[in-house]
Amino acid sequence: MAFKNILKQDENKRCLDSYGKVVKFQEKLNASVTMIEPELENVIRGKLYKIPYALKDNISTDGILTTACSKILANYKPVFNATVYDKLRKEGAVLISKANMDELAMGGTNLSSYYGKCYNPYDLKRISGGSSGGSAVLVSSGACAFSIGSDTGDSVRKPAGYNNIVGVKPTYGRISRYGVIPYASSLDHVAYFTNNVKDSAFLLEILAGRDDKDPTSSFENVDNYASLLSDDIRGKKILIFKNVIDSAKSDVALEIVKHFNNLVVELKNKGAIVEEVYFNNDLMRSIFPTYYIISNCEATANHANLDGVRYGSQIQKDSFEDIVITNRTIGFGTNVKKRFIIGSYGLYEENQEFVLKKAQKVRRLIVDEFLNKLKNADAIIAPASLSVAPLVDDKGNFDYSDEYLIGENHMVIGNFAGLPSITVPMGYVSNLPVGVNITTNVFKESTMFNIAYAIENITGIKDVIKEDF
Amino acid sequence: MNYDVVIGIEIHLELKTKTKMFSSAPTTFASKANSAVNEIDFAFPGTLPSVNKEAVKKALEVCFAFGLEIDKLLKFDRKNYFYSDLPKGFQITQQFFPIGRNGKLNIKIDGANKEIRINRIHLEEDTAKQFHLNDKTYIDFNRAGNPLIEIVSEADMSSGLEASLYVEKLRQTLLFLGVSDCRMEEGSMRCDVNISLKEKGSSTFGTKVEIKNLNSISNIKNAIEYEILRQSEILNKNEKVTQETRRFDEATQTTVLMRKKEGNVDYKYFPEPNIKPILLSDEFIKNVKNNLKELPDSKIERYSQVYGLNDYDISLILSNYDVMDYFEKVMVFSNNPKNISNLINSELLGLMTKNNIKFSDLKISPKNFSRLSDLIVGQEISGKQGKEVLELMLSGDDVDVIVETKGFKQISDESFILQAVLEVIDEQKQSVIDYHNGKDRALGFLVGQLMKKTKGQANPALASSILKKELEKFK
Repeated sequence: MAFKNILKQDENKRCLDSYGKVVKFQEKLNASVTMIEPELENVIRGKLYKIPYALKDNISTDGILTTACSKILANYKPVFNATVYDKLRKEGAVLISKANMDELAMGGTNLSSYYGKCYNPYDLKRISGGSSGGSAVLVSSGACAFSIGSDTGDSVRKPAGYNNIVGVKPTYGRISRYGVIPYASSLDHVAYFTNNVKDSAFLLEILAGRDDKDPTSSFENVDNYASLLSDDIRGKKILIFKNVIDSAKSDVALEIVKHFNNLVVELKNKGAIVEEVYFNNDLMRSIFPTYYIISNCEATANHANLDGVRYGSQIQKDSFEDIVITNRTIGFGTNVKKRFIIGSYGLYEENQEFVLKKAQKVRRLIVDEFLNKLKNADAIIAPASLSVAPLVDDKGNFDYSDEYLIGENHMVIGNFAGLPSITVPMGYVSNLPVGVNITTNVFKESTMFNIAYAIENITGIKDVIKEDF
Repeated sequence: MNYDVVIGIEIHLELKTKTKMFSSAPTTFASKANSAVNEIDFAFPGTLPSVNKEAVKKALEVCFAFGLEIDKLLKFDRKNYFYSDLPKGFQITQQFFPIGRNGKLNIKIDGANKEIRINRIHLEEDTAKQFHLNDKTYIDFNRAGNPLIEIVSEADMSSGLEASLYVEKLRQTLLFLGVSDCRMEEGSMRCDVNISLKEKGSSTFGTKVEIKNLNSISNIKNAIEYEILRQSEILNKNEKVTQETRRFDEATQTTVLMRKKEGNVDYKYFPEPNIKPILLSDEFIKNVKNNLKELPDSKIERYSQVYGLNDYDISLILSNYDVMDYFEKVMVFSNNPKNISNLINSELLGLMTKNNIKFSDLKISPKNFSRLSDLIVGQEISGKQGKEVLELMLSGDDVDVIVETKGFKQISDESFILQAVLEVIDEQKQSVIDYHNGKDRALGFLVGQLMKKTKGQANPALASSILKKELEKFK
């Protein structure tokens, strides 16, 4: 049974307790932007009846603030619901929090939120990870039973590892993006966090499916992932992402690789066929710049609607041009402006050929390289990150070493190719959690969950709540 | 000095669909400001575009009508710029792969055909409408997101007349296809003209001036003719024409400067990531092609060959979509195209003008109209009576009821007429004698008496021949 632990509790109490924790943890974790006292009458008796959860604050909620943690949307209340929110409401899930995130989902730290940093319950001096930081922390701290985020690079799967929880990004088009404030349309995925694999398999059955409002959503049949769940991985061909392993140089990275190697041994013991795979390393080193160009070119256009005219920040000026300049100057943070400039640069007619179009070609090459090997296997696995959650004050490991370029960015391939990808807990390094990532072929979510389930059974790390911080 | 005139035309056509290009909001025209709008049209964050299939179908129809090559892979791009009438901060259009390329249409000028090439037709969405009042700007988003096609001609025209004929022919065809209202004054068909002059015979093009938003076919002609004069004068003075955008001022019949063009604006076009390329199935395309409405050229041929109408009548019927439409609806019931055409052109249209009736308000059903024609052709009522009946039919009354009430119906029953003739001969013996004595007027008098007796309903030709025959017997 999915959501076993929460369903054991009294149906109203579990929602009120959740709200209580969200409020109580706010001071230390700063995981919420809007806290919603639950109304427990007229809740639909669906498959998620009175299960408390959180939505990343870029998911539109009719009449409820949806800021995407940007000042320009600080007063913005949508007049419609995102499809995911509608689906969850129809199954009786109870929304408790709109969660903190990097501004407009642009970042991997949750340090760029207009509402302040979000902290990791395993060490309050450390980041939650991002961009879906608030959503991750609300699950790892036990405040919510699950949470919805979005994943453009690795914005759910990276923080999942830092928070000892499960983070799922299914196939592109598997979950409708309608009503999710975008970062980059061709890379954006609705993704989510749970405390264990079974919950995540069950949740996808509810979240997935064609939505006519999102023409990129798929007609592909939605499987009964939860009932198909099995940890029998005998004969499953699992590839080891060798470029990631080889890029590990730092002590922490080597510690993480040690955990990973132990896990590989266990997978073999369970009957999996494990093979190392080594991709063209130049292409792997190109993931980050390619991602940065494509995502920000799309983002600069995606957010051109935030002009101060119709909603959000609406500072009045004498001309349209002044309205746009004033609202956008005041409304966006430095990080966002930086990315807009880069995106805009890449879109200029005279630059497009050697910036955006080149990046799109490299994206294609990376995807081809990856799929060429993956198509003959069931999954590819690697540590979700070669570091533990960085310290808030850490300026970041931007040394363009392979450990950074590949070790910290390889999960972006899942977005480039739209592949199902999951991060589950793998172990601890200096008492801090680290995760392992499993990526499978398109629409092979069931395989993904099964391998993740097997790993969960090997590590025994599930339903870990970090309440004492 | 003489110049070659080079004219190209871009037309923005609002497609007649129920919903918008990328949203399910209705495309109603006259509704209250900002009422026919949903979250997509306002570009609320997180909304996504869904392509309107009906708009694609209509765009394809236009492509087929002008013989364009179809791109089966439908792709959209973003045209990025900030403006208050553009809610998303970009317009979704088809910059790189238009739905149709390389078409043409023929215009008739001085009795000869001239081919005007169409470079491309692409789908896009409309912007919001702005109103300026005092120092404030008001925005109505009802129009935002309405489906448009842009029809771009090659610079194949060289006079105001040619340009106006091109637009007229285009408009007629588009109306006949039923893809748009084509109301130029109301902006559902908007016309921009690019015009430049070069030395006669030169291969170097002159500087292009754009005249925007011409709202009638006569304005197109007048604006171009004025612009040719203006540019000629500049060139005659050895000065340079500046690249700029102008508008036509109806009051002065001149073009006036709107803005100078300083370099090309970079719209940073790139493929729209939220719409994956859509492969139009062969079946879908074939279906559109096979169900294409009849085009004007084909109608002209059919009216002439099948209906035997003359060029003048055909041109009258085809000059107006509503007239053509009514004519064809009547022809469903009729076998007398000539009489129908005459009745419409010389009677109905006049009556409608006189009574200020539009076709949309016309209460004469096509079936009734056809019946009226049958009565006249079958000589059951006279042509003169027909006119009177037609006027009465404007109220919506049934033709037979009117004829009946008015007692107009001609009687062609020979025995009935013979009976009346015999009675008249019996009553008017003197006139019969006069007739036989060669007094011509006597016959007229007898016919008059006969018509009086039959309340004017006797078929005049028949009555006259029976009367003459019977008179012979009394010689």
